[in-house]
Amino acid sequence: MVIILSLFLNDHVPTIIFLPDTTKYNEEELIALLKGGDESAFAYLYDNYSAALYGIIYRIINNNQVAEDVLQEAFVKIWNNFSSYNASKGRLFTWMVNIARNLSIDTTRGKSYKQQMKIQSNENAVTNASNHINENDRFDSLGLRQQLSALKEDQKQIIDLAYFEGFTQNEISQKLGIPLGTVKTRMRTAILELKKILQP
Amino acid sequence: MNKEEFISSGLLELYAMRISSPEETQIVEETLKQFPELKQELEDIEISLEEYAQVNAIEPPASAKEKIISRVFAEGANEENKTAPVISINKKTAIPMFYKWIAAAALILLIGSIIVNYSYYEKYHDAKQELITAQRTIEQQQKSNQAMNQDMEIVTNKYAEPVLLKGTPKAPDAVAKIFWMKNTGDVYINPTNLPQAPAGKQYQLWGIVDGKPVDGGMIRTEKGTYHIQKMKSFGKADAFAITLEKAGGSPTPTMSEMVVIAKM
Repeated sequence: MVIILSLFLNDHVPTIIFLPDTTKYNEEELIALLKGGDESAFAYLYDNYSAALYGIIYRIINNNQVAEDVLQEAFVKIWNNFSSYNASKGRLFTWMVNIARNLSIDTTRGKSYKQQMKIQSNENAVTNASNHINENDRFDSLGLRQQLSALKEDQKQIIDLAYFEGFTQNEISQKLGIPLGTVKTRMRTAILELKKILQP
Repeated sequence: MNKEEFISSGLLELYAMRISSPEETQIVEETLKQFPELKQELEDIEISLEEYAQVNAIEPPASAKEKIISRVFAEGANEENKTAPVISINKKTAIPMFYKWIAAAALILLIGSIIVNYSYYEKYHDAKQELITAQRTIEQQQKSNQAMNQDMEIVTNKYAEPVLLKGTPKAPDAVAKIFWMKNTGDVYINPTNLPQAPAGKQYQLWGIVDGKPVDGGMIRTEKGTYHIQKMKSFGKADAFAITLEKAGGSPTPTMSEMVVIAKM
């Protein structure tokens, strides 16, 4: 990431303009840089993961403005709490998903969110949501989206509920009205199928 | 639970999606420690889910990035501001002894320095006084040496003709000596043996030229000036005499006050 300009505003908060950079970090390098508080590594993190996290946040929040606020909170938390990330427990993205998902779920339980959603439901909720379906072309260019169509709808549904929305197996069982055992086997086969599609 | 049972239990998938219960999480983390090779299996699942999330990504509004980056960096700066006073509080409790020692050492050094400075100032002051005294002595000696040298030059001048003026009945003990330079006519007088002139009076030298007294100048006999003095020059003279006149001299000699005389 190349920092082209750093301008100072009245309150001495630097405004830094990042231009797209061709630098690619592997996960280890990125983690090392972020642990050292490297700001350009943070911008790289944002460029590469903000859309994936925003997709998850939006799925839970279902409101542009609130979702953007939650994304902001999530990245601030990721930056400030980076020292608590432990690579031995899983990948960086898994950790970030957990943060974004928990913040989103907490937000939906808040009073102001519920009020806002009431207002929104009276307006144009449908167009709002349909604006945002699969806008990320970066991965589409790999043809992954087409390959994923091989995933059955009920398999997709169970991964989405669990991974994107943080539902437990019990909650999924209740929500979909299917036995817990079925949820367990369907979840495992869904992920095996996903692996087969994405990592042949 | 052996490795195969663990893999087929589906716990790793739950863990990878971070929806496992605390008990399940503990089982997974312990099993991963026991079979490190399972970490690759976990990572494969995580990468698949990650790619699935990327396929389902939604680009956030373009304005979000700048907001987040400026906020993150501003908060970083705030955090530094916040931690600064915390550190100083810790230091307050951790380092007072250190400061006490520094303060004590500084005070001792200061007192020591004042004492040494005072003593040096005293010595300096004394030395300066001594120097001034010595310089004055030297100056005086130089002056007297200079006067003496002048006297000696006159006395030892090969053209100098000494003329001894002897006391008249009025002042039988008075003696004065004139050195008359034959080459230039300059007249010098050594008044050392003249009595000190009374207040308001002064000795005056006269040269008798062709029977008439001619003024030869005033002679200073105040204390400390008893050195050979230069008088007016005489090309020729029949006699020299000194009279006691009123201060500043008289146009003609008061003959009754003649103290010494010499005929050539």
